[in-house]
Amino acid sequence: MFIYTVKRFALAGLILIVAVTAMFLMIRAVPGDPVSIMLGPRATPELKASLIAQMALDQPIWKQLLIYYGGLLRGDLGIDVFSGRSVVEIVFQQLPYTLEMITLSVVWSATLGIALGAYAAANPNTMIDRIAAAVSVSFVAAPAFVVALLALLIFAVQLQWFPAIGAGEGFWGRLNHLVLPSFAIGLSWVGYIARLVRASMLEVLGEGHIRTARAFGISERRIIMSYALRIAILPVFTVIGVGMGFLLSSAVFTEIVFARPGIGKLVIDSITTRNYPVVMGTVLVSTGLFVLSTAIADLLNALLDPRARSAK
Amino acid sequence: MKLEWTKAPMGRRNFLKTATALGASAALPMGFAGQAMASEGSTLRVRSYGDMSTMDPAHSNGVFDEEIHASVYNKLIQYKPGSEWGWQLDAASMIEQADPTHINFALRDDIGFTNGHGAMTAEDVKFSFERIIADETESPNKPDMGSFSHVEVTGEREGTIVLNEPFAPLWSIALPYITGNIVSKAATEAAGGRIGTDPVAESGPYLRASWSPKEKTVLTRNPDWKGDAPAWDNIEILPIDDENTAEIAFEAGELDFTRVSLGSVERYRAGVPNGGTLLENPSLFYVWLGMNLDHPKLQNPLLRQAIQHAIDVPSILEAAYFGAVEPSTGIIAPGLAGHREAGKVAPAADFARAAELLAESGETNVTLTLDVLNKTTFTTTAQIIQATLAGIGITVEINVLESGAFWDSGNNENLQLVLNRFSMTPDPTYATAWFTTEQAGIWNWENFRNAEFDQLHADAARETDLAKRAEMYIRAQDLMEESGAYRFITHEATPVVHSSGIIPALRPDGLTLLRYFGKS
Repeated sequence: MFIYTVKRFALAGLILIVAVTAMFLMIRAVPGDPVSIMLGPRATPELKASLIAQMALDQPIWKQLLIYYGGLLRGDLGIDVFSGRSVVEIVFQQLPYTLEMITLSVVWSATLGIALGAYAAANPNTMIDRIAAAVSVSFVAAPAFVVALLALLIFAVQLQWFPAIGAGEGFWGRLNHLVLPSFAIGLSWVGYIARLVRASMLEVLGEGHIRTARAFGISERRIIMSYALRIAILPVFTVIGVGMGFLLSSAVFTEIVFARPGIGKLVIDSITTRNYPVVMGTVLVSTGLFVLSTAIADLLNALLDPRARSAK
Repeated sequence: MKLEWTKAPMGRRNFLKTATALGASAALPMGFAGQAMASEGSTLRVRSYGDMSTMDPAHSNGVFDEEIHASVYNKLIQYKPGSEWGWQLDAASMIEQADPTHINFALRDDIGFTNGHGAMTAEDVKFSFERIIADETESPNKPDMGSFSHVEVTGEREGTIVLNEPFAPLWSIALPYITGNIVSKAATEAAGGRIGTDPVAESGPYLRASWSPKEKTVLTRNPDWKGDAPAWDNIEILPIDDENTAEIAFEAGELDFTRVSLGSVERYRAGVPNGGTLLENPSLFYVWLGMNLDHPKLQNPLLRQAIQHAIDVPSILEAAYFGAVEPSTGIIAPGLAGHREAGKVAPAADFARAAELLAESGETNVTLTLDVLNKTTFTTTAQIIQATLAGIGITVEINVLESGAFWDSGNNENLQLVLNRFSMTPDPTYATAWFTTEQAGIWNWENFRNAEFDQLHADAARETDLAKRAEMYIRAQDLMEESGAYRFITHEATPVVHSSGIIPALRPDGLTLLRYFGKS
């Protein structure tokens, strides 16, 4: 397990380096003079020259990349050219907002999705199973941005149950502000996870050890909860791990629609203004999160299912 | 039994709200209730289209910084709320133009800086203005100071602003706008000469209580402010760049004031939710179709004139601006010196004249590219231009660009037609500044070069006689239009909505002057 963990994290590091390098090159390939965009029309040539030097834009790309990685090794992601604040400070100030939104989305969608899937599998081909299937597919098919807008109009404007914008203050205030965004992001995951768990569960329920358990007269409830579900939810970990990338991209539009602070909003604003240091800082952290979550999902999988370890 | 929800003493919506609130209050510990109780005093919640980036006026990035700076700092003079451009005294108790290059001022004796930095003095004014033009400050706002030279301090609270040459925009831009904010010399020097995202010393009717990046800025009443007391105890400024989101927030009762999209104006004309009010203000922005005079395909003046006459501005305004704006006659908006009552080419297209000009030009099989920003308004406008020019036989290929690439078009030698929109401050010199020969290839994407225009631009900035100044700017816009490189479209508009409890204080272009917002 130890060797597997080391290998997995080494791979994660390599993925991170490739992703950050690719992003570094891509952002510089986008048309548009960053200095003119950042400083606006009234900037003097001297001011432009100063900023070019400050951002090392007068250096060849390979040298800029080396400078960037040099800073990275020192834990220095650079300075935001507009506010003069450290990029690390900016990114880590915004990160909790995105993380709490994603976490709540995953928690509620996985809880409901697993319950729905398990219930459907325990009652196959019944009316309940068919209804659960229809509901799950509808959820999967509902685009998150449409759900977000409808949720806003119904629950914020019409019923005024939940706040429409912002992130709130204090624990309960923040939780209250998370309800609609996490609902919008998580809804399609409920359906997806439910279908996944149902299929996986049906497969497990047909296996020998379950038949043996039944032969021993163990209750169906205990078989499902203690034996079948434990194995059937394994694919959910992998899906959630890989799904972090999807959730991070969903965060971009959700943060815009709900006017929430967060990484998604930050990356859009900084790309538009060609704020290279902030773009890179944001990409590094979000890629890191993605790589970390997939690595953790793989490790959990390996921990719970020894076959996954030996397959590597 | 049939339930009559609508006749219930407590409506369904109220019942659900109350039930939810009761349930929540039973379930929640004291934290939530405590938080609600902690929010004392009246709070005004306004939307800003961008987040604050600095508390240093020298490095202000524009309107969203200035909204805050104007509330926590003072200037010698401030813009006056209302429908006509004008200024009123702020930190100055007296200000007068002694001669074309000298302006005497005296400060009020009741304005002090926070954090123990003492009373505001003429030294603070001198420091604030001179640091904007100092090279080491690297202020992008330096051009707003024009021919400002220095401030002579003649007393503790008295001084004289000295100009190198007369500069009319001093009264409309330099003093009442971004560069006019007075900061504490002692506090700024103690901070190393540059103010970051936290204020070092404030003096206005409000103090910046907190800033949560990308979420909100909170201003709170300055207890030491001796001037007219502001109406609101707290102001929350929420950065929301999407107008539709802001409208939803307003309708949900989470905002008291916001700009709304032009597409929503018709809906709000029929009624603003929650007893609110719609105000339709003009705007200073200007939108036009530009033609690159340096491009080989656009060398023929008759072809350019044909394009001018073939573009139907009313159709554009109806389709892209939902009929909520008026056509423009140039780059200077109504209400400013130099606004033209009518342009040389009427807003409505004259297809017969356009076809005639095209035939005269001898150009055939004309195909042109039109660069536009990736915003619905501009792409719709481009499609209408494409359709109308097709009517006289000119083929237009639309090139939609992301903002970064679009705003770099000055470096695009292949630029042919471009749909453009510039922002503006309330002085005509700010409009003409971008179309001088010096700006060709930088912000003058049409590469319009005209010696008379350049001279008019320079002279008008020095001219203090308003009528003469207006004539100069009218002539300058005539020259632009005669070149055939411009088809003026609109100045847009600034529609805003506000809730029933507030009296907004706005500049004539609809931008906020938060310190003057009142209660109804």
